[in-house]
Amino acid sequence: MVELTSSEPYQHGGLTGPPPVARRFWQIHHRQRIRLWGIAFVLPTLMFFAVFKYGPMMWAIELSFNSYDMVSTPYFVGLDNYRSLAADPIFRETLINTFVYIAGSTILTTVIGLSLALAINTGIPGARHCMTAMFLTNLMPIIAVCLVWRFLLHPYGLVNQILQPLGFGRIDWLTSSSTAMPAIIMVTVWRFAPYFMVIFLAALLALPEDYYEAAELDGAGAIRRFIHITLPLLMPTIFFVVVVSALLCARIFLMPYLITGGGPGNATRVLSMLIYETGFSYLKMGQAAAISVVLFTIMMVFTALQIRLFARSEQVYM
Amino acid sequence: MTTPEVAESRRNANSLMRHLPALRKTVGLVLLAALAFAFLVPILWMTVMSFQEGGKMFNLRTEWIPAVWHFENYPNAISRAPFVQYFINSGIVSVTVMAGNVVFCTLAGYGLAKFHFRGSGLVLLLILSTLMLPLEVTLVPTFLIVHKFEWINTYQGIVAPLLIDAFGVFLMRQSIISIPSDYIEAARIDGAGELRILLQIIVPQCLPALSVLAIFSFRDSWDQFLWPLTVVSIDRLRTYPLGLVQFGEEYGNPATEQMAIAVLATLPVFLLFMILQRSINRGFGLSGLK
Amino acid sequence: MKKSALGIPSRRDVVRSIGVAGLGAAVSVPIARRAFAQTKKPVDISFWTFDNPQQRPWVHKRVKMFMVQNPHVKIDFQWFAFGDLGKKISVGFATGTAPDGFVSQDWFMPVWLDKGLLAPLDVKQLGYDNFTAFTGDFAKAFVDGATKDGKVYGYPMWFYGYCNYLNAKQFKEVGLNVEKDWPQNWDQLGEVAKRMTVKDGDKFVRQGFKFAMHSSQWTMIQYNPILLQSGGKWFDDSGKCTINNEAGIKAMTIRASIAQKYGAEDPADSIATNPIPGMDFLKERASMFFCHPLPTSLVKAENPAMEAENYFRPVQYPGVQTGKGFSTTYGFNLVINGKASAEKQEALHDLYKFMMSDLVDAWKDAAPFTFAKKTGWADNPEVQKFPYVNEIIRAKDEGVFLPRSLVFNELADSMHRAVQKVMLSKADIKKTLDEAAAEVDRATAAYKKA
Repeated sequence: MVELTSSEPYQHGGLTGPPPVARRFWQIHHRQRIRLWGIAFVLPTLMFFAVFKYGPMMWAIELSFNSYDMVSTPYFVGLDNYRSLAADPIFRETLINTFVYIAGSTILTTVIGLSLALAINTGIPGARHCMTAMFLTNLMPIIAVCLVWRFLLHPYGLVNQILQPLGFGRIDWLTSSSTAMPAIIMVTVWRFAPYFMVIFLAALLALPEDYYEAAELDGAGAIRRFIHITLPLLMPTIFFVVVVSALLCARIFLMPYLITGGGPGNATRVLSMLIYETGFSYLKMGQAAAISVVLFTIMMVFTALQIRLFARSEQVYM
Repeated sequence: MTTPEVAESRRNANSLMRHLPALRKTVGLVLLAALAFAFLVPILWMTVMSFQEGGKMFNLRTEWIPAVWHFENYPNAISRAPFVQYFINSGIVSVTVMAGNVVFCTLAGYGLAKFHFRGSGLVLLLILSTLMLPLEVTLVPTFLIVHKFEWINTYQGIVAPLLIDAFGVFLMRQSIISIPSDYIEAARIDGAGELRILLQIIVPQCLPALSVLAIFSFRDSWDQFLWPLTVVSIDRLRTYPLGLVQFGEEYGNPATEQMAIAVLATLPVFLLFMILQRSINRGFGLSGLK
Repeated sequence: MKKSALGIPSRRDVVRSIGVAGLGAAVSVPIARRAFAQTKKPVDISFWTFDNPQQRPWVHKRVKMFMVQNPHVKIDFQWFAFGDLGKKISVGFATGTAPDGFVSQDWFMPVWLDKGLLAPLDVKQLGYDNFTAFTGDFAKAFVDGATKDGKVYGYPMWFYGYCNYLNAKQFKEVGLNVEKDWPQNWDQLGEVAKRMTVKDGDKFVRQGFKFAMHSSQWTMIQYNPILLQSGGKWFDDSGKCTINNEAGIKAMTIRASIAQKYGAEDPADSIATNPIPGMDFLKERASMFFCHPLPTSLVKAENPAMEAENYFRPVQYPGVQTGKGFSTTYGFNLVINGKASAEKQEALHDLYKFMMSDLVDAWKDAAPFTFAKKTGWADNPEVQKFPYVNEIIRAKDEGVFLPRSLVFNELADSMHRAVQKVMLSKADIKKTLDEAAAEVDRATAAYKKA
């Protein structure tokens, strides 16, 4: 406890506290003490991240300049790993696949998530139950998701069974290089759209009524109301959804790994799979580390761009 | 400023609205229900298949109502590998990770939301950056660190890297920021200690966010495959995803029994969701939804 | 072995089991050695193997029997999915937590040996008089993969060749005789497959023949003989990958011919998911299928009628020339971690000797998986009564090995991708093979640098 410089006792309630000089002194200590508590609250988490995230991250960056086959000691190779990546067609294909996957999944998830939210937000009784039902897809264990969809996307599986009467021929979802990535994107959207639907829904519910009333009074139709009121007000949420969705998609591993194994050919190989194979199948941990540094950089750059774009769009709409 | 034309059209619209609300709402509900059903089809298919006999898995036409219900798929599937043990292991890991996230993310979120020390912005950015590092490359260094603690093949070893997730820190920070600081200040002036403030003011106010954090941290650790695969090399500590994938890799195991295990794996997450549902809805900000 | 109510074998059982096992081992093990072993201090060893419903329980059984006979040895027995074992062991070596003894898939041996991870085996402890006696108990190709610089690093265990499994009932249906008409060359395979194919419009009701396409290892095993039969090689003497030369193109053309030339296969349609690759065959949606020896229990589980009436029939792999067919032979070695202590290594030697001492017992549990060893099992009546067992043994003996390369994984993955591109995306064969060869050459260069 802090020593009071005044002989007057400090009274509960603070109104008849110590004389001004002592109170200021006490308040400085008070503020400092509070700040220390703040640091104390954050410290365990920071220490945890230091051990389990930053430590490995630093190790990985350092490793990317080395060659390490997991059983002998690592040795320095400078930029060799990065140079061989740049010359590797498989890495380039994988990079493109990853971008395509992130872009496709993020755009579709955002659009469909928003559409679902708008559909639920129409005030229809029972809509909330439909929302809960859809949300369940986001909770289903990912292993189960992969196993089930692998069967559903078989040439004679359920998806084709449904599409066939509609006139589609047989689609080799997982074995044709033109449909394999769309299939993985489809499963991703199925799993994540409901989650973002809920996020959008919460944002829609929080929108202030006055704007809409004013617009209705002015005779604005539903579509105009949406474009000029809803969308701008939702910009922060859309930004959040796009960033989170892109981050989740960049890390995706199990879905392509269990459903297509990266095939056919290289059609669905994404960066995280390449990292795992390079490190654990080919025992080239240094190169795997280099690939993940690339992935990490992409995500950082992407997020930074997002923030920049968002700030600019805020100015346009506000 | 309303013109006569607009007023007229609004009157017409209003009269239409008066007659059609019921119809509009019914059609809307039917469409929504169909949409929800479409999303649920894979889950329903999995459940139906889990009661079918093994050969039916590869039929060219799906039999939605089993002619014969094979309830024995479940006990059969469980007996093929020590799944009871696997599920218990997963349960222990997931509950611990959930608790760890609830505790530490709240602490850190509170610290970042309401305490303005120098560098709190930087700390926030640092925590964000951990979201961008995929597990696959930190797998071996994380394994080495866990090995140094002598936690290989232990529950602590599986739990350790999953204990705190940066996303949870953000979630709690967002939730706590919206708590008026006056409450906290008043309590401080009243002489309450920081921990008391945390437990008696902050936590009750962010229970909805805590529920969201709980369900997602539970689900994420329940889903974990790559990390347990790396850190566990004895059978009695395996988690169910390892068992489920290995189940499919053994000759002679009917695929429908694999679906049975998948259904069992789905139940705990759904159950937790049902229990926490009201709080989760509030946590998402959906209490305004009818 | 009968157990008491507590699950602990009774003394009588222990004595009996010692007798049974001892009989097999007594020929080569001096009794004094056993007595000496029992006065040794306690040893804890870890032993890992791959999972297989017939083979793994038998290995486990032998391990347990060994522990009973050698109470000072405690063995922690763990098993992993076939595809995961290599990775688990790599991670183990990287972090100093690798098992003391394990079963190594033979295509990984070059990597372990190159990095000096395995301990040399003392053939005397395994029951052989000397190095020559040891190598004499196996065909040359088996020990080539397990020896280096005159030292033995692996004890070859299960090794088997691929056979062409035929559905004899369907053969009869189309008027063919399995004994006379089994395909001996690739053209015949295509023709027969075409005859066996049943289509409903565009859809295949029954495929005449099916290649498994679910894993890179199966791709290598199936393609290896085709390449070699066509006169091709995986690598030339300087180490360059030569899968894209004329012979290589011929091989890939043959590989693609069943589907593309004869229209008897649908590469995209498989009811098999990894790794029940034979599912189409077992469910009679494919008439012929290349596979490792099929246990009867597996067939029975998927198609009881096929097992009961025994109309699944192994024949030799077809060849480019009639009568000159051979398949891939691959398998597993018992190996020891180079870092294991001397006591552990000694205990493991005893364990391996014990395990390999009664192969007929192994056959009883895990038929028809064959062994690399020449002596001690093949002539036994138990073994001989298995249907078509001599076809299966012949496939192993006359088979060729997978390329023992330091970049086997990269090679396998590149081939797998190439086959997928050719079969599923109908890509140009020359271009695809050129890409694959370039990938492998890059991997070789990277390995050499490291």
